[in-house]
Amino acid sequence: MSYDTEHVRNVGNGPTMITGLSTFTELLTNTNLADLYIAIRLSPGVTAPEIADQVAVSKKTVYEYLHRLERAGLITETKDDSATRAYNAEDFELTLTIRGIEITITPKLVAVIARSDAYPIINRICDEHGFVTFALAHDLINAHSDGEVTIRQIAALTDLSHGTTYDLLEALYEIHDIGGDGPSPTTYSPADVAEDDLFSELTDNK
Amino acid sequence: MSRLKQLHTANVVDTVIFRSLGKSPSPHLESLEQAVAEADTELWVSSSIYRELTNYGTNPPRNPYLDTGVEDGWIRVATPLLGNRNTPFDSAHNPVEQAQHFTDEYLNQQSKYPEINNWRDASVVALAVRLFEQNTRIRVITHTADERLARACARIPPEFGYYEIESRYYNPPQKAKQQFPTTESLSWRGR
Repeated sequence: MSYDTEHVRNVGNGPTMITGLSTFTELLTNTNLADLYIAIRLSPGVTAPEIADQVAVSKKTVYEYLHRLERAGLITETKDDSATRAYNAEDFELTLTIRGIEITITPKLVAVIARSDAYPIINRICDEHGFVTFALAHDLINAHSDGEVTIRQIAALTDLSHGTTYDLLEALYEIHDIGGDGPSPTTYSPADVAEDDLFSELTDNK
Repeated sequence: MSRLKQLHTANVVDTVIFRSLGKSPSPHLESLEQAVAEADTELWVSSSIYRELTNYGTNPPRNPYLDTGVEDGWIRVATPLLGNRNTPFDSAHNPVEQAQHFTDEYLNQQSKYPEINNWRDASVVALAVRLFEQNTRIRVITHTADERLARACARIPPEFGYYEIESRYYNPPQKAKQQFPTTESLSWRGR
């Protein structure tokens, strides 16, 4: 059945019962929980014992986390004839709008939080500057990889120092594995960029 | 000797490249010093970039990325550029100021966030143009990890008649740790 009300929109086939909403936000503060969710997301159909081998928590905690993620609708048990339970991770978006600022939590952000033990700059920014600033910097750094903003622009827009911005940028480029993989830098000569438009009003006045 | 062999090569370096190499002492900075000597070149940074990397929390302020190289003579800090972003382009009479305005506008028109901090980015291009203005036998290589700025470095100087420029773009930025402090990176390639 599909429905579209003020608070619920459903095109069908969604979970009928979602409880434990705090699990969504805990994904942003509990590195181990985030790590477990991302491990399932990266390995669809992974079994509980296999997950336990991949994450840095006890088996008991793994099963507790699996239960919480399942209740929140973030993972589902796959249909399997074997006795061993296997799981798939579900996509989600959790959007909050507070005083005109809208922030959307997605698995992509959770994947970064899951790596925060290896990259202390992530927690430092979340703790000292807040999650909105972190999420904004995250998105701008992705835009940087597409050449849309410069690092100084990211620093100015987030109000982070240039050094902090660079540290986060380096971490996110590694976590998301973005950027070129060539052995040497790209070199532009004047001939390579001759077609780039210049600001005509200035060139006319030169 | 051919004309090209007589040209001296200067390298203009953006802030992020030095951040990737780390603070002195650093094995990457040691590699860079050696590469500068082998490539027979000199490294230049604008004064605004020097300030960006300076730690003003110490007394006296100290630049942990650049001071060792500056004191040893293989990094040079340019005297401040005279341009001002608030000065109308029409009143900018010399090519260096004009180049900085050009670059600022070039970055603005291609950015989703114009007017945000492009002026310091533009100092990389302005310094390159100043080196051309002050040296008749020079070619310039710029180094940055921002794609738009990298394109601007190759696009703007020819507007002032300077074509002997190559612009190196490091992507991802942390690759500069290995790719920048090499003789090859600091040497003219030509095509």
